[in-house]
Amino acid sequence: MVRLKSAADLEKKRAQILSKRDPNKPCITVCSGTGCHALGSDKVHQAIVSELSRNGLKSKVDVRRTGCHGFCERGPIVVIFPAEICYLGVKPGDVPEVVSKTSADKELVDRLLYKDASGERIAHEGEIPFYKHQRRIVFGSNRLIDPKNIDDYIALGGYSALAKVLFEMSPEEVLETVKRANLRGRGGGGFPAGAKWETTRNAPGDIKYVVVNADEGDPGAFMDRSLLEGNPHSVLEGLIIGAYAIGSHEGFVYVRQEYPLAVSNLTLALSQVREYGLLGKNILGSGFDFDVGVHRGAGAFVSGESSALMTAIEGIVGEPRPKYIRTAVSGIWERPTNLNNVETWANVPLIINNGSDWFASIGTEGSKGTKIFSLVGKVNNTGLVEVPMGMTLREIIYTIGGGIRQGKKFKAVQTGGPSGGCLPESLIDLPVDFDELTKAGSMMGSGGMIVVDEDTCMADLARYFTTFLADESCGKCIPCRVGLEQMVTILDRICGGEGETGDIELLEELSEVVQDVSLCALGQTAPNPVLSTIRYFRDEYEAHIEQKRCPAGVCKALISYYIDPNKCSACGICLRECPVEAISGAKNLVHIIDQEKCTKCNTCFEVCPTRFSAVVKISGEPVPAALPLGTEVVRKKGKRE
Amino acid sequence: MARGKAKARSIYKSSAKEKSRGGKATPTQTIMGSERVPESVLTRVSDKLGIPVSQVSHMVETIGRVAQEAGDTDRIVEKYRGDKAALIQILLEIQRENRWLPRDVLMSVSKNLGVPIGRAYRIATFYKAFSLTPQGRHQVSVCMGTACHVRGAPRLLDRVASTLSINPGETSPDQKFTLHTVNCLGCCALGPVIVVDGDYHGNPTPKEVERIINRCD
Repeated sequence: MVRLKSAADLEKKRAQILSKRDPNKPCITVCSGTGCHALGSDKVHQAIVSELSRNGLKSKVDVRRTGCHGFCERGPIVVIFPAEICYLGVKPGDVPEVVSKTSADKELVDRLLYKDASGERIAHEGEIPFYKHQRRIVFGSNRLIDPKNIDDYIALGGYSALAKVLFEMSPEEVLETVKRANLRGRGGGGFPAGAKWETTRNAPGDIKYVVVNADEGDPGAFMDRSLLEGNPHSVLEGLIIGAYAIGSHEGFVYVRQEYPLAVSNLTLALSQVREYGLLGKNILGSGFDFDVGVHRGAGAFVSGESSALMTAIEGIVGEPRPKYIRTAVSGIWERPTNLNNVETWANVPLIINNGSDWFASIGTEGSKGTKIFSLVGKVNNTGLVEVPMGMTLREIIYTIGGGIRQGKKFKAVQTGGPSGGCLPESLIDLPVDFDELTKAGSMMGSGGMIVVDEDTCMADLARYFTTFLADESCGKCIPCRVGLEQMVTILDRICGGEGETGDIELLEELSEVVQDVSLCALGQTAPNPVLSTIRYFRDEYEAHIEQKRCPAGVCKALISYYIDPNKCSACGICLRECPVEAISGAKNLVHIIDQEKCTKCNTCFEVCPTRFSAVVKISGEPVPAALPLGTEVVRKKGKRE
Repeated sequence: MARGKAKARSIYKSSAKEKSRGGKATPTQTIMGSERVPESVLTRVSDKLGIPVSQVSHMVETIGRVAQEAGDTDRIVEKYRGDKAALIQILLEIQRENRWLPRDVLMSVSKNLGVPIGRAYRIATFYKAFSLTPQGRHQVSVCMGTACHVRGAPRLLDRVASTLSINPGETSPDQKFTLHTVNCLGCCALGPVIVVDGDYHGNPTPKEVERIINRCD
């Protein structure tokens, strides 16, 4: 591989890569993101490769494994270029047909295409409603490139922003551009990146560091992972540009070890940029030196907090420290350190290439650009969506997300991960940006968006987050360590049917203390799930406490399972499936649940055929007395008995 | 480099000696290094030392394992050139290769790097990735991320735990299974998810859970 020694070399390289590629040659791409991988995209890829070689088509059709496309719900995703035909839910068995139709007669495999509500098939990826309403400026390249091949990134114009910065702009100009674009940190806080860069640049000291925070610990958020796995070079290019603006010569990527594919793609990307001379000494012959090390996080939510992350890089336990002096001034080894999230860095090359005015034209007054959300939970189209700031929750959940699963009723959307809050249906037309979410009592966080329906208990959800945070609290400061533990105790009590009058007020009081006096952002934001659910769903808490009723039928201690004798058809399924043999009955005899034996595992509820729906959950009222055992006969409508 | 190697050798010896303490003599020199000890040699050693063959073969196995662990540890420490800041990275690699962190391994890392053993233990207990007990041959993880939670992960966990007859975090007595909970695997579309030895299974029915578990040998 030849080392690129100037901006002209890079352009020459790009031209050389492009000259070898025929834009009209068919290319079958297979999504290899985590979602598709879990659904078996590896096998689909293998099947494509072997099918092509069996038919002697290896030289006529290219195959490429790309990063995450975002539409995880319908994986494994196969897109065929140049026509951009999108096949969803492809299985290895479908491959021979896909290959023969693609290579020979340019026909479509109808059954694998997206089918809209009216039953019409949509062939092109961009026209599928899930994609159509998005604006994928950061995430869009994922589907075009093989993350293991730097040439794919360069072919799309990759590292041109770096060359522009190194040869045409002074560090001050870069800083000014990012400031004017008003890029705010995508990791949670929404702090203006330009201002942070400037602080680090102006901080005293010769040695400065830049860090990529890829310790994405929020359960239900995986956009950073998909970016790092699918397009690591975009993050690296942003980081190198940032280092140039700040005057740093050493950087770190802190990535969770739970993301092995991200670690390996990143490590490979680093070795490729070093070989090309885009990283290391004298980058592109500009005289600027910069190198990057990879640190793997060993599994601690709190290590995503900037000061904790920096201590972890030093090889010490990743606990936060008070930030009287910002990490931008005194971070890793007490040197000025600028830390930004993966998505923030990936935005930087775009701003440089397209200008700050272009970036600032997208989004709202206070929040510019786009944001990637992971839209998950009880929504039809689970996946990663990138939309301009300011799009309403309704558009995201209904237009892009396709509404609620199984026609259930929307109850709330939880944004911002464990530190965020729940927003009720009354706020569904809220435009999503940093400030609006904070005003509504939630936050942007890293962009998790968990949709919940009528079957989700809000008190239980608050308990889930608080338990998570109590577990993840490092224990350094007392309000967080003890306060959260006490909040969990109270929430356990409420969900366990032993809630007392005054518990809600006690939770509010405790929350205030934990918020006010905790050391780091983990503790300061930890009461958000509890406070926002109390704010918008107080009636659910009250039902648990006063009536000992769980309206959503989730809290085990407050529900009972009962088989409606009028609906039971004595099919015997629940009887066979019950793991504790709590159901009695026989052919033509109504099945009865022994409440003493029942462990409330929900199995009978799940297996009862929907045409009967005889198993019901009862909460807040006594279970009707069982009919005498063995005597009942099933009443079958319209049958001879 | 050279100093590191000398150190490595001394640890290697001491742990081997430590393990065979109490035996009448140490069979280390004769057995170490050979990949598989022939039956006839085991019998002769047993005759010479006056101990049963089974005990000799057990000793050989233990010595081999300890030596390999020490060798692996030294190799990993060497890779990071004794950099104290790499402590977490070193432990992560050992954990990955060995699946747990035995006491003597933590001791030798701390000695090699010159960091207090307390710090090694603090890290080993602070982070979720580390285990201070041996792990089962099959790793079963149930995702407890938010998306899986709202789709019924707690019920799935109960089901898996009762099928395996162990609680989350525990290893079955026959060392066959270890059950973990994880916070989000990033495949929320499948939720609730169970992962067995790297294979993902989305929203399995009670019967499927049984089938998935029984498939492991």
